[in-house]
Amino acid sequence: MIHLAYLDAGSGSLIVQAVVGGVAGAAVAAKLYWRRLVDRFRRQPTDQR
Amino acid sequence: MTTSPTGVRPEPASFRDPANRVFHVGDEVLRGLNAQAAEHWRTLAASPFFPTLVSAGKVCATEDAPPTMVPATTGTPWAAVLRHERIPFVSHPYEWSFGMLRDAALLHLEILRTALADGFTTKDGSAYNLQWRGAKPVFIDIGSFEPIRDGEPWAGYRQFCQTVLYPLLLTAHLGVDFQPWLRAQVDGIEADQLRPLFGGTRRLRPGVLTHLHLHGAMQQRNAAASTSDVKAQLRAAGYSRDLQAATVRGIEKLVRRLEHRPSGSHWTDYQRTCGYSARDRVAKEQFVVGAVAAAARPRLVLDLGANDGRYARLAAGHADYVVAVEQDPAVVDELYRALRSEGQQRILPLVVDLADPSPGGGWRGVERAGFAQRASADVVLALALVHHLAIGRNVPLPEVVDWLAGLTAPGGAVVVEFVHPDDPMATRLLANKPEGLFPDYRRDTFERLVEARGRITDRLELPSGTRTLYRAVMGG
Ligand SMILES: C[S@@+](CC[C@H](N)C(=O)[O-])C[C@H]1O[C@@H](n2cnc3c(N)ncnc32)[C@H](O)[C@@H]1O
Repeated sequence: MIHLAYLDAGSGSLIVQAVVGGVAGAAVAAKLYWRRLVDRFRRQPTDQR
Repeated sequence: MTTSPTGVRPEPASFRDPANRVFHVGDEVLRGLNAQAAEHWRTLAASPFFPTLVSAGKVCATEDAPPTMVPATTGTPWAAVLRHERIPFVSHPYEWSFGMLRDAALLHLEILRTALADGFTTKDGSAYNLQWRGAKPVFIDIGSFEPIRDGEPWAGYRQFCQTVLYPLLLTAHLGVDFQPWLRAQVDGIEADQLRPLFGGTRRLRPGVLTHLHLHGAMQQRNAAASTSDVKAQLRAAGYSRDLQAATVRGIEKLVRRLEHRPSGSHWTDYQRTCGYSARDRVAKEQFVVGAVAAAARPRLVLDLGANDGRYARLAAGHADYVVAVEQDPAVVDELYRALRSEGQQRILPLVVDLADPSPGGGWRGVERAGFAQRASADVVLALALVHHLAIGRNVPLPEVVDWLAGLTAPGGAVVVEFVHPDDPMATRLLANKPEGLFPDYRRDTFERLVEARGRITDRLELPSGTRTLYRAVMGG
């Protein structure tokens, strides 16, 4: 169990609100995940050097 | 609770948001605001939506007070101080029935939706943001309003799920009473605690897949990500104010779909099966009305074991406010729905087992005051209740009388109906216990115990001859 402090919105709780926000929300969530993925790829070559 | 020499008492339940803090000074409820909160308050007071909500009675009435009225807690003086309307009796969500929690939820969401349209949001989403004026919910956490920051989802969503939505899902979808769960954890039910109960086809019930399972999974997968990073990512991905409004509307729609109508529990049928003759009833009603109206108009009446609220309603005709306490959530829910449809704002129904009342909860056990700490009434009604405690729950009769005296404010009155051991209802309870277990459950013993703690001013044996009513002024 993850105990989150009061007045801490919680990261997962923020993202899931995009997901439940209909088509427009899902698009925002998809974009967020896409950017995270791209970021990871961009970072990888430098990590390996 | 600590009181400073000036008589200022910090509210133990209001420390979680350091931007503001509630204090009691005499009968007044005051709130100190830091510089930023004071600035938010000024824009809030000037907004179109806020005064409208206050005048509709949906948000507690609030005005500016002299900043010197409460001392600084941190060294820096408060930038502003507010005076709030007093809520007649503070209650906790685990003392509400399903319908009450649902209506409180809908009010919270309506307020948030209205605020969003005017560029405000609430920084939390707690069920504890709400209180009651009788059967009407009211939003009390003025410190929760803040200007919305574009591109951010609702910060109170997680808390709303834990203290409001998950308890409603538990009762609506599984028929499990939520009250013990909420009472056990001041921060509400965690997604991971509830997910195991919603496996298989139960995943498909309204709201479960998204707000519970997906939400829980997302919390785990993003546990390492900071909320400021995630907010930046969401903003960059185009999260908008309209999206937040759409999410709130979606939750509102879901809550409206959640219903729970239990099939009649044992006590819901009581008035039909209670075995009073019509003459008994008339005599009892007259006695109760006379006893409540006998002294100065009571500010607070407690009706213990209120059932369908018949006597709470009679008392409300002669008192400012009545709290109707019942152990059975289904009975309380029926009473609440009836009171709500009558627009009743002076009778508050609550779910409390009087043999196991709400203890103190949260930090140091004082953040949520226990029932005994809050309950001090000018008149205490205990009608056909004593036998349930003394025989049904084995509470020694002297303890029951002590407890009744303790619930009564100094000089207040107890109106109590003693069911004789030969009454059919008492006989039925006694039949479930080993023979001879309660030799002291007798009318003369009871009278002596009452007289040791107060003065019996009125006494009436009901026509059927197996029940006696008393009015006793306690401590005098
Ligand atoms: C016999 S009925 C009396 C109802 C009403 N006071 C009257 O006089 O008509 C007893 C009521 O007390 C409630 N009750 C019994 N034990 C209780 C307890 N431990 N805590 C709260 N309510 C209780 C029952 O649920 C029931 O509604």
